[in-house]
Parts: sequence; C-alpha cells; structure tokens
Amino acid sequence: MQLVIGGACAGKRGLVQRWYPHARWQAQEDAARQAILPAPGETLVVSGWAGWIRAALAAAPGDDDALRLALIERLDALRAAETESAAEVILIVEEMGRGIVPMGAERRRLRDLNGWLAQDAAARCERVWYVRHGLYRRLS
Amino acid sequence: MIAFVSGGARSGKSAFAESLVREYQRQRGGARYYLATAMPGDAEMAARIARHRVERGDAWRTLEAATLDLALAEVEPASVLLLDCLTLWASRVLFELDLEASAALAQLERALAKARTADMALVVVSNDINEGMPPEDDASWRYLALLQAAHCRVAAEADCVVQVVAGLPQVWKGSLP
Repeated sequence: MQLVIGGACAGKRGLVQRWYPHARWQAQEDAARQAILPAPGETLVVSGWAGWIRAALAAAPGDDDALRLALIERLDALRAAETESAAEVILIVEEMGRGIVPMGAERRRLRDLNGWLAQDAAARCERVWYVRHGLYRRLS
Repeated sequence: MIAFVSGGARSGKSAFAESLVREYQRQRGGARYYLATAMPGDAEMAARIARHRVERGDAWRTLEAATLDLALAEVEPASVLLLDCLTLWASRVLFELDLEASAALAQLERALAKARTADMALVVVSNDINEGMPPEDDASWRYLALLQAAHCRVAAEADCVVQVVAGLPQVWKGSLP
C-alpha cells in the first residue's frame, strides 16, 4: 500500500494518474456504509477521505476516538485485501494541518482526524510520497 | 534559466531569492530587474513595499506594470529578473483585473516563454498557502486553485526549485548556482 500526501491542488492526482493510468479510482465519501476494497490484481486509488470524515463528524458528534478507529479499520481492510488479492492500493490524503487553528469546533476536529488518518496510513504503507507544487519526494 | 523559490510567511524566501539573483548576475552579467507585483493598497502595505525596496538597495531597476506582458516588454535581453511574488500577482489578476484563471495562466505562460527566448535568468518567488485547512468560500477556492496551478506550472518549467524553511534553502529540483 502507498500513501500520497500533499496540500490542496498540489498535484497529487496528476502524479498518481501518470504513474497508474489504468487504475480504478474510488472516493471514500461515496461509500459511507460499505468498505472499498480492491478486486484481484487491480490497482485501486482511494481518495475522498476528508469528505468521509466531514460526513462522519456530522453523523457522530463528539466521539473522535471511535471515528479514528473506524478509519483504521478501513485502512487495515484495504491492506489485508491488497495482500490477499495481489492488488495495489494507493491512498491519497490531503495535508491540511499547517495553517492556523480553525475557529469552529467541527473544522478543528476535521483537521485532527485528517492528521491522525495520515499518520495511521503512513504507518501501514510501504511507501509514502509527499507532493509539493507538482514535484514529489519519498518520505518513507 | 528559471528558478522557483517558495516558503511560508517570513521564511526568508525573498532574501534567499535576491541572493540567487545576485549570484546569477555575477555569473552571467546583464541588468538586474525587480518586477513588483504589490500595489500599496494601505499604509501597512506601503511600508512593507518600502522596507523591501530599502533592503534590496539601489542596484535594481524596478518595474511596475499591470501585467507581466507589459513589465517584461521593458526588460533587456539576457537580464536577471526577480518576480516577487506570485501570491500578489494572482490576487491582482483575479480580483482587480477580473481575469479568468485560464487567461491569467496564459499570461504567466507567456512570461516563462519570454524568459526563455530572451535568455533571461528569471527567479520567481511565492508563498506556500495550500497546506492548511481548505477554504470554505468560492473566492478563496478560486484563488487557491489559480495559485497552485501557477506554482505547479512554474515548478515544472523551472530548472531549479527551492523551498525556504527558516531561511534555509531546501532544493527540490536542479541545483543551486
């Protein structure tokens, strides 16, 4: 499993499209109730994590630990399916933690959960890429 | 030669970019230009522009024009130029000149092409603003999207891309002179 992280409009999608032109793309936010998993042998790009977190925050106010665990379960399921089905999974996560602290509680929680997601994803990925202005570096 | 220098607020990116310009001029010769993108909208901005001008010294020819095309038309071939910075340029073209993003990017594209054909050394400076919380309003999204498209285009074209952190240059592409 690989993680591609970078700020808004940093060029993450363009980079992954160049690397994996035939990959299937799916957004987490479009699959709130069912897990996204790769088919045997396919390359699956999973984006839309912030959208999933926004929707989950609205549905489950106050329990950030449970939401983090739910995200970890999705990451673990993706990694297990990747191994079992000889697939390739690429996660795209947005960096959003480097600005000022948001005024609203919900945006603060989104920022926290997104940061934890990035950490939890990086810990489960063999390769982590940081994208900045269309250029990239391997972080791990 | 095109170089792209960016970093956070008060990261030292302008001072580093100016040192880069001086080094290119030392190696290549030619006149040294400063392409101003800031217009003094209030007293704080006027003071900020004045402070930058004093810090640069007298060895610079300052160009102030509404568009990059007009500014670059005045530059002698084989000159060394500092464009500081793209964040203010993006703000002007989008919110003062009311250009569409495609027209703004075409203007930038012409500037990059002109730098190549006229054998200039162009150093472009900008501010990294895209790693905080995503904007909530449409105008800010338009601005962020235009600026990032400009950053990606300049970074792709540039021979040298540098991120400045606490005054320290981190080279992402190419090498320093």
